[in-house]
Amino acid sequence: MTEKLATILILMPFVSAVCCYLIRSVRLRSWVVLVTGVLLIAGALLLIPLTPFTFAAGSLAGLSIRHIVSAADFLLLFVILYFGFKHRSIIIKMLSVFQILLLAYLEFFSVKGIAAAGTIYCDQLSMTMVLIVALVGSIICFQAIPYMQNHETHLKLEKSRQNRFFAVMILFLGAMNGLVLSNDLMFFYFFFEVTTLCSFLLIGHDRTETAVKNAVRALWMNSLGGAAFIAALTVIFSQTAHLDLYRILLDADPANRIFLLSLALLCLAAFTKSAQFPFQSWLLGAMVAPTPVSALLHSSTMVNVGVYLVIRLAPAFRQTFLSHSVAFFGAFTFLAAAALAVGQSNGKKVLAYSTISNLGLIFACAGLNSPQAITAGILLLIFHAIIKALLFLCVGSIEQHIASRDIEDMRGLYAVMPVTALITVMGVIMMIMPPFGVIISKWMAIEAAASDFFIIILIAPGSALTVMYWARWGGILMSDPFAGRFKAEVQPVLTWTALGLLCLGAAILSIGAPWLYQWVIAPAESDFYLLDYTSRGGILENVVGIFPVFPLGLVAVLGFVIAIWAVKKAAGARVVAPYLSGVQTAEPGVFTGPMNTPTKAEAKNYYLASIFGEDKLTTWINLAAGVLLTLVIGGAL
Amino acid sequence: MFKKIIQKARIKSPWLLHFDCGSCNGCDIEVLACLTPLYDIERFGIINVGNPMHADIFLVTGTVNQRNKKVLLNLYDQMPQPKVVVAIGSCALSGGIFREAYNVLGGIDKVLPVDVYVPGCPAKPEAIIDGVVMALENFIRKKDEEKTHA
Amino acid sequence: MINSLVMVIAGLAAGPALGGVISGLDRILTARLQARIGPPVWQPYFDVLKLFGKEKMVVNVWQAFCAYCYVAASSIALVLFFLQSDLLLILFVQAVGALFLVIGAFSSTSPFSQIGAHRELLQILSYEPLLVLVTVGIYLETGSFKIQAVYGGDAPLLLKLPFLFVVLGYALTIKLRKSPFDLSTCHHAHQELVKGLLTDFSGPFLALTEIGHWYEVVLLLGLCSLFWATSWGGMIIIVVITYLLEVLIDNVSARMNWRWMLGYVWSMGLALSMVNLVWLYAR
Repeated sequence: MTEKLATILILMPFVSAVCCYLIRSVRLRSWVVLVTGVLLIAGALLLIPLTPFTFAAGSLAGLSIRHIVSAADFLLLFVILYFGFKHRSIIIKMLSVFQILLLAYLEFFSVKGIAAAGTIYCDQLSMTMVLIVALVGSIICFQAIPYMQNHETHLKLEKSRQNRFFAVMILFLGAMNGLVLSNDLMFFYFFFEVTTLCSFLLIGHDRTETAVKNAVRALWMNSLGGAAFIAALTVIFSQTAHLDLYRILLDADPANRIFLLSLALLCLAAFTKSAQFPFQSWLLGAMVAPTPVSALLHSSTMVNVGVYLVIRLAPAFRQTFLSHSVAFFGAFTFLAAAALAVGQSNGKKVLAYSTISNLGLIFACAGLNSPQAITAGILLLIFHAIIKALLFLCVGSIEQHIASRDIEDMRGLYAVMPVTALITVMGVIMMIMPPFGVIISKWMAIEAAASDFFIIILIAPGSALTVMYWARWGGILMSDPFAGRFKAEVQPVLTWTALGLLCLGAAILSIGAPWLYQWVIAPAESDFYLLDYTSRGGILENVVGIFPVFPLGLVAVLGFVIAIWAVKKAAGARVVAPYLSGVQTAEPGVFTGPMNTPTKAEAKNYYLASIFGEDKLTTWINLAAGVLLTLVIGGAL
Repeated sequence: MFKKIIQKARIKSPWLLHFDCGSCNGCDIEVLACLTPLYDIERFGIINVGNPMHADIFLVTGTVNQRNKKVLLNLYDQMPQPKVVVAIGSCALSGGIFREAYNVLGGIDKVLPVDVYVPGCPAKPEAIIDGVVMALENFIRKKDEEKTHA
Repeated sequence: MINSLVMVIAGLAAGPALGGVISGLDRILTARLQARIGPPVWQPYFDVLKLFGKEKMVVNVWQAFCAYCYVAASSIALVLFFLQSDLLLILFVQAVGALFLVIGAFSSTSPFSQIGAHRELLQILSYEPLLVLVTVGIYLETGSFKIQAVYGGDAPLLLKLPFLFVVLGYALTIKLRKSPFDLSTCHHAHQELVKGLLTDFSGPFLALTEIGHWYEVVLLLGLCSLFWATSWGGMIIIVVITYLLEVLIDNVSARMNWRWMLGYVWSMGLALSMVNLVWLYAR
C-alpha cells in the first residue's frame, strides 16, 4: 500500500505531464492539472500516517527499475548535450560530456547496476518536502491556469504553448517527489538532472532572446552542480562501495578525508542548485520566466533541493572543518544577498535575493550542525517555501494588473487592488514578524549561532537588512491618499483560492509551529541528534531560550481584531489630505506648486544604490564567495 | 467626569501652530521670544508644533492677501477640533499699516473665525501669552461644549 | 500562575506609569539645561489626555491600525520583559511595533511622512544588529537568553560586558530619539521634516504612538538595568546615570544625517561588540 502510494506520487505526474502535452483543449487540460494536484495532495496526506517507511524498487514489466532509471539518466544527459549544441554553449557540452563519461564509468565499472537496499526512504523530513511539493506545488499550478491564460492573451500568441508549460510543470512535481523520496543516490542524481532540465525548459518558455540566454545560463550552472554531484558519487562509491544515503549517514567517518571531499562536492552541487554566490546569476536571470515558474521552481521547491540535500548530509560531517566552512559560507550569503536586496527596486529581484538570503541562512543552520540549528533550518525551509510562493503569486497577479514589477509602481496599490495588496502585506508581515514561522526559525537560528562568533557577526546585520527591504515594500503598498473605500477587485476564482490557501496555511502553520516541531521535526532528527526543545502548551522551550508561540499567536489575533475594530471606527473619522505645508489642493496628493500650477507630491523609496547597488557589490561578493567556496572544498581535505 | 479631566488636560497642554501670513516678522520674533528662557512658555505646557494636525491654537501674524488666503484655510482645516485662532499684531487684526496695499484683504478675520485678538505692533510677549491663556480658558471650554464632528 | 498575572498587569501598567514620568523628567531636565524652568512633571499625561480628546482625523485609516499595533506590540514586549522571558524574543516583538509605526507612516503620501519613515527604517537598520549582539553577549556571560538567568548571577554584567553596554547606549540613544540620531522624529521643535514620521498622525492616534513610545523607553531602560541586576540600588544607579547622559548628549549634539549615523553606529557598534564578544569567547 505504502509502496503503491509512493510510486503513484512519483509516477502519476509523469503520466499527467504527457496528457497535458497532448491535450489541446484548455478546459480539459485545466481539469487534468486540477485533478493531478488534488490527487497529489490526497496521496501525500494519506502517506503521513505511514511514515517512516522504506522499500526497494522492484521491476516494471520485467525490467528492473534501477536499469530503467539508469537508461533514462543517460538519455537525459544526451538531451542536455543536444541543447548544448543547439545553443552553441561550450560549457554545457563540456559538462554534459563529463557527466556522461563519469556516469558510464560509475554504471558499468563500479556500481554495475546494483541498487541500494532501500531505494525509497521516507522519514518525516522527506514527508515534509513531499507535502510542500504536493500542497504548495499544486496550489501554484492551480493559480497558473488563469495566469497563463492572461499571459498568452497579453503576449498575443497565435498558437498556445500552455500544453508544453503545464506538461513541464507537472513533470517537475513528479521529479521533486522522486528526488526527496530517493535513498539511492543514483535515483537522486537522475531526478536532480530532471529538475535541471525542467528549469531550463521553463525559464526559456517565452522564447525571447533574454529568456533563452538566461535559460542557457541556468542550464550550465545547474549542470556544474550535476557534474559535482556525479563526481561526488564516484568518490563516495570508491570509499564505501554503496550509494545508499541512509547507510552513508550511519556509517559516516569524518576522519576519512576523501569521504569528506565527496561530501564537499555534494555541498557544491547543493550550492549551485540553491543559487548561492557566486552562482546567483542564474536565479536572478530566471525571473524573466512567467511568475508561476518563479514561485514553484525558484522559491519553494527546486532551490530547496540544495538545502534539503545539505540538511540530510549534515549528520555525516558534524564537527568537521567542512561543517564550519559551510556555516560561514551560508551566513555570508545571508548577509550579502540581504544587502543586495536593499538596493533593488525590481519586485521579483527583491524576492529572488530574499530567497538566496534565506537559503543561505538554512545552509548556515545545517553547517552549525547542532540540534537547535537543524531544527531552525528545517522550520525555515518549510515556512520560507510557503510564504515565498505566496509572495511570488501576489507579485505575478499584481504584475498582470499594473503591467510592471517595479516596487515604485506598486505605490498605493491598495487603491486599485485592495485584496491583493492586503494579502501581499500579510505575506511581508509573515516574513518579518513574530509570531510567524520565519521569525521563529530566525530566532532559533540566532540562538543556535550565538556560540559561534563568526556566524553571529554575519547574521545580526543580515537580519536587520532583511527587515529594511521588506518593511519598505509592505509600507508603500498601502500608501494611498484616500481612506479606504473598499471595493474588492475582480480576480479568477483559482487565484483567490491559491492566495487565500497559502496565506491562511502559513498563518495557521506558524501558530502551530510547536506541534509541527513535536510531530514532524523532532522525530526526523532523533536518529542523529539529541533533541533539544520541549513543546508544551504551545510554548517552545529549551535550556537557553523560550518562545511562547501559541500564547503570542492568540494575543496577536486579539490585537489584530482590536486593530481592525479601530479601523472600522476610524472609517467614520474626518479624512484630511496629508500635510503639504498648507498648499494642498482639493485633489489628494496634489499641491499648488511654482507658478500656481498643480503639482503632484512625489516620494520615492530609498534604495541606497550608492552603498547597496547591485553593480557596486556583486563583483566583490562573488570574489569573496569564490574564496569561501575554495575554503569549503579545500578545507575538506 | 471624564469630560472634566479632558477639559483640564486641554487647558494644561495647548500646542501652537504659528503661521506668518505676510507680516514684517516683528510679531513672529516676539512669538519666538516667548519660547526662550526669558518667558519660557513651556512652563504652561505650550509647545510650538509646526504641524496643524497636532495643534490646538492657531497663532497667526500678518495680513491676509490673495496668495495666502487659501493656505490659511487649508491649515485651519487640517487642525482637529477643538481649535482656537489667535490673531497677533495689528496687521492680523485689521491689516495694520499694510491695509491700503492692493493685494491685502485686511485682518485675518476676513478669512477665519478669530477667537482672540492680541493688539500691538509688535505685540509684546506678555500680551501674546495673555492672549493664549485667554484663548485656552474662554474658548477651548466653549468650543468643547459646541464641539461638532465635521 | 497568580504571580504571572500580577507581572502581566505590572507590565501593562508600567509603560504609562513609569514612561510618562520619565518623559516628564526628561523635559524638565532638558529645560533646566537650557536655562529654562520647564513644564510640570505630569505634562506628558496632560498631553496624551488632550490628544485623546481631540477630533478623530485620519489621512489613511490604515494609520489607526498601525497605531494600535504599535502600542500592542510595545506593551507585549514590556509584559514579556516583566515575565522574564527570552531576550531575543522581546527584541523581535518590540521590532514589530517599530515596523508598524513605519508602515503607518508610509501609508500617508506626504513627502514628510515618507522621508521620515525611511529615516526610521535606517535607524532600525542601525540599532537592530547591535541589540542582537548585546543579547548574544548576555547569553555568553549568563549561559542563557532568558532574563531569569541574569538575576541569578553574582557579579554585575557591567563588569564583563562594558563595551556591550556602550553599544546598548548607542541603540538607546537612537530609540529614545535623542540627538545626534533624532532623524526621523523628535520631541523637540527642531525637526526639519515638520514632525517626520509622525507628521500625519493626529489626535488619539498620536496619543497612542506616544504611549507606545513610553513602553519602549521603559523596556530599553529595563534592558540597561540588567547590566547591574545584582542589587536594586545598582539598577537604579545605572538607569539614572544612563538617562542623564542621554539627556546631556541630546542637548550638546546636533542632528546628523543618515549616512553618518549608519556608518558611525555600525562601525563603532560592531567594532566594540566584536571586541567584547571575542573577549567573552576567549574565556
